[in-house]
Amino acid sequence: MLGVAGYIALGIGATLLITASAFTVGGILALPLALAQRSRFVLLRIFVRVVVNVVRAVPPLVWLFLVFFGFSELGLRMSPLAAAIATFSVIAMSYFAEIYRAGLSALNRGQEEASAALGMSTIDSYRFIVVPQVFRVVGPMMATYGIGLLKDSALASTIGVVELTFRAGSQAQQTGQGLTVFAIVGLIYLLLSLPLAIVSRHVDSRLRARFSVA
Amino acid sequence: MITNLLSWTQYLPALFSGVGVALALTGIVIVLGFFLGLLLAYGSVSKVRLVKAVALVVVEVGRGAPLLVLLYIVYQGLPQFQLTPTAFASAVIAFTWSAGAYSAEVIRTSIDAVPNGQSEAAIVVGMNRVDSFRFIIAPQAIRVGIPPLMNIAIQFFQFTSLAYAITVPEIMQAAYFQATVTFDYFSVFLAAAFLYASITIPTTMLVSRLERHLAKHL
Amino acid sequence: MNDPLANADETAPLFLRASGITKTYKEHRAVDNVTLEIDQGEVVSIIGPSGAGKSTFLRCINFLEMPTEGTVSIGKESVAVEPGSRPPSRGDLAAIRRSVGMVFQSFNLFPHLTALRNISLAQERVLERSREEADERSYQLLKRVGLEAKSKAYPGQCSGGQQQRIAIARALALDPLVMLFDEPTSALDPEVGAEVLSVMRELADEGMTAIVVTHEMAFARDVSDRMVVMVDGSVVEEGEPHKIMSDPSHERTRKFLSAVVGR
Ligand SMILES: Nc1ncnc2c1ncn2[C@@H]1O[C@H](COP(=O)(O)OP(=O)(O)O)[C@@H](O)[C@H]1O
Ligand SMILES: [Mg+2]
Repeated sequence: MLGVAGYIALGIGATLLITASAFTVGGILALPLALAQRSRFVLLRIFVRVVVNVVRAVPPLVWLFLVFFGFSELGLRMSPLAAAIATFSVIAMSYFAEIYRAGLSALNRGQEEASAALGMSTIDSYRFIVVPQVFRVVGPMMATYGIGLLKDSALASTIGVVELTFRAGSQAQQTGQGLTVFAIVGLIYLLLSLPLAIVSRHVDSRLRARFSVA
Repeated sequence: MITNLLSWTQYLPALFSGVGVALALTGIVIVLGFFLGLLLAYGSVSKVRLVKAVALVVVEVGRGAPLLVLLYIVYQGLPQFQLTPTAFASAVIAFTWSAGAYSAEVIRTSIDAVPNGQSEAAIVVGMNRVDSFRFIIAPQAIRVGIPPLMNIAIQFFQFTSLAYAITVPEIMQAAYFQATVTFDYFSVFLAAAFLYASITIPTTMLVSRLERHLAKHL
Repeated sequence: MNDPLANADETAPLFLRASGITKTYKEHRAVDNVTLEIDQGEVVSIIGPSGAGKSTFLRCINFLEMPTEGTVSIGKESVAVEPGSRPPSRGDLAAIRRSVGMVFQSFNLFPHLTALRNISLAQERVLERSREEADERSYQLLKRVGLEAKSKAYPGQCSGGQQQRIAIARALALDPLVMLFDEPTSALDPEVGAEVLSVMRELADEGMTAIVVTHEMAFARDVSDRMVVMVDGSVVEEGEPHKIMSDPSHERTRKFLSAVVGR
C-alpha cells in the first residue's frame, strides 16, 4: 500500500505546479482587469464585466477541452500541462478580478481622505492604510480561491496531465482497489490545502459561498 | 462569413439531451444535498461527540476533496464492496455529498447570522424554543440562506460537467461524442460553453435580484 | 432592609422583589449582591456609570442572564438560584418571564414581521388569544403609542423612535406586571428619544410598574418615584430622585452626576 501511496504522491509536483502557476499568472493578469473595472470608460468596464462573467459561467472542464482539443484543431498545439496551466490561469484571472474588486470596494473612501488629512504621502497612505486594509479582505478570499484552484487542478487528469488524480486513476485500474486509492489521493488534497485553509478561516461566509469551487 | 461564424450552432441540438440530464442531476442533488446539509448542520453542533465528529469529517471531506475524486471514490470505490451503482447514481451520491457539505455551511452561517437580540426578544415575550425557532429565527435565516443555496445550485449545474469523467450522458459527454464523430472539436465545445453560459448567466442575475428582494425586511 | 429569606406570603403583596442578585463572570463580579423591591405602580430608575452592572442586573431579573446567586419573586411566583444546586426549570423561568416585559436599547423588533404582527404574535402563541383578538389588541396598543398608521409597516420602514415605541407596545401586549427598560433611548437622537420618553411618562402616569435603566436624568428625576445608583456591581445609594440629584451622599454618585450633567 505504501508503494501505491508513494506512486501517487509523485504527482504532487505536477498538481502544485498547475495550481501555483495559475494562481500567480491569474493573480497578476487580474490586476489590470480590476483597475479597468474602475475606469472612466463605460465600454471598457462593460467589456471587462462580460469577460469576467462569461469565463465564470462556463465550467472549467469545458474551457479545458476547448483549449486543449479545440485550439489544437485550429492549429495551436499545446502539451496537456501547458493547456491546463493556460486554462486555469485565465479562469483564476477572472475570479481574482472579482476578488480585487470586492477588496477595493470594501475600503472606505474616508480612509484615504483621513490619511491625506493627516498629511501622509500617497505612498505612505497606500503602504500603511490602503494595502493592509484591502489585503485583510482580499487575502483570505485569495486563499479560499487557492484551495478551489488546487481542487480544480484535478481536472487536468482528464486531458492526460500526469498529476495526483491521474496517477490515482491508473493505480485504481492496476490494483482494483478504487476506494483505497482515491481515499488516499483525497487525503493528499486535504493535506495540501491545509495551509491555505488556515488563512481562509477568516473569510466572510457569504463571500465564501460565492467564490467557492469544487 | 456569418454562416461560418455561426456554424457551431449546428451542434446545439445534439447537446440538448445532455442539458436534460444535467438539469435532472442538478435538481436531484440540490434537494438531497439540502436535506443532507440540514442533518450535517444539526450534527455539527451536536452534544454527542461521535455524531459531531462524523458530521465534521463528512463536511470537511465533502468540501476539501476535489469533486472529481469524490466521483471516483463512489464510482470506482464502491465496487470494492461488491456494490456497483450506475454512473448516474454514483454522480448523485458524490454530488450530494459535496452539495450537502456546502449546504451545511450555509445553513449554519445563516442561522448564526440572525442577531442574538432576536432570540432574546422572543424569550422575553414568552415564546418557547420551538416557537422562537419557527416564527423568529428560521424565517430570517431562510431569507439570508436562500441566495447562497441557489448559488450552490448554479455551481452544481456547472459541476455536472465532471460527471463526463464517469460516462454520465450529460452535456460534455454528448459534446465529446459529437466532437470525435465530426472532428470539429472547437465548434462543438464552443456550443457546449454557450449552453452552460446561457443557463448560468440568467439564473445568476435572477438570484442577485432575489437576494435584494429577500433582504428588504432584514 | 428586608430579610431576603422572608416568606413572600408574610410580607405585604410585593410586586417584584429581586434579592441578593449576584452575577460573576470568571472572577469578575458584574453584579454583587443587589436587592431591589418594587411596589405596584412604582417607577424605579437605575443610574450609574457604564459597566456598573445595570444591564446585567436587569437581565438577571427575567433570567436572560442566569444569576450566579439570588432570588426573584413576582406575585406568587418565586425562583431561587443557589450556586451548586439545580438550575431552575424552564417552566419556572417561563412563569417569571410571562410577568415581566422588557424593552431593549436596540429595540430588537422582528424585522421580517409588520409592526402589528410584532405585537400580536406572542399573544397568539403564548396567551393563546385568537388572531382577531390579538390583532385588535395590538392595534389598540399601536394607537396607545401613537403609531396606528404604522400597523402594516415593517420595522425597517420605521424610524428608531417609532421602532422603540412599537417595541414598548409589544412588551405591553402580554399584560406584564412589571416592565424593564434598558436604556431605551440611548440608541436614539435626542429629539426622537423625547417621543419615546413621553410615551413612557404617560404609561407611568397610568400606573405602569417599571424599572428603568437610563442616562436621561430629567426623566429619572421627574418620572421615577425612586432612584437607585449602581457602581461597580453594587448599589451605592438609593432614595428620592430629587434628593439624590441635588444632594448625593456618596462620592461616586457625585462624580457620576457631574459627568452626566457636564456632557
Ligand atoms: N457576557 C459577559 N461576559 C463577561 N463579562 C461581561 C459580560 N456581560 C457583561 N460583562 C461585564 O459585566 C460588567 C457589567 O456590564 P453591564 O451590565 O453591561 O454594565 P452597564 O449596563 O451598567 O453598562 C462589565 O464590566 C462588563 O464588561
Ligand atoms: Mg447597559
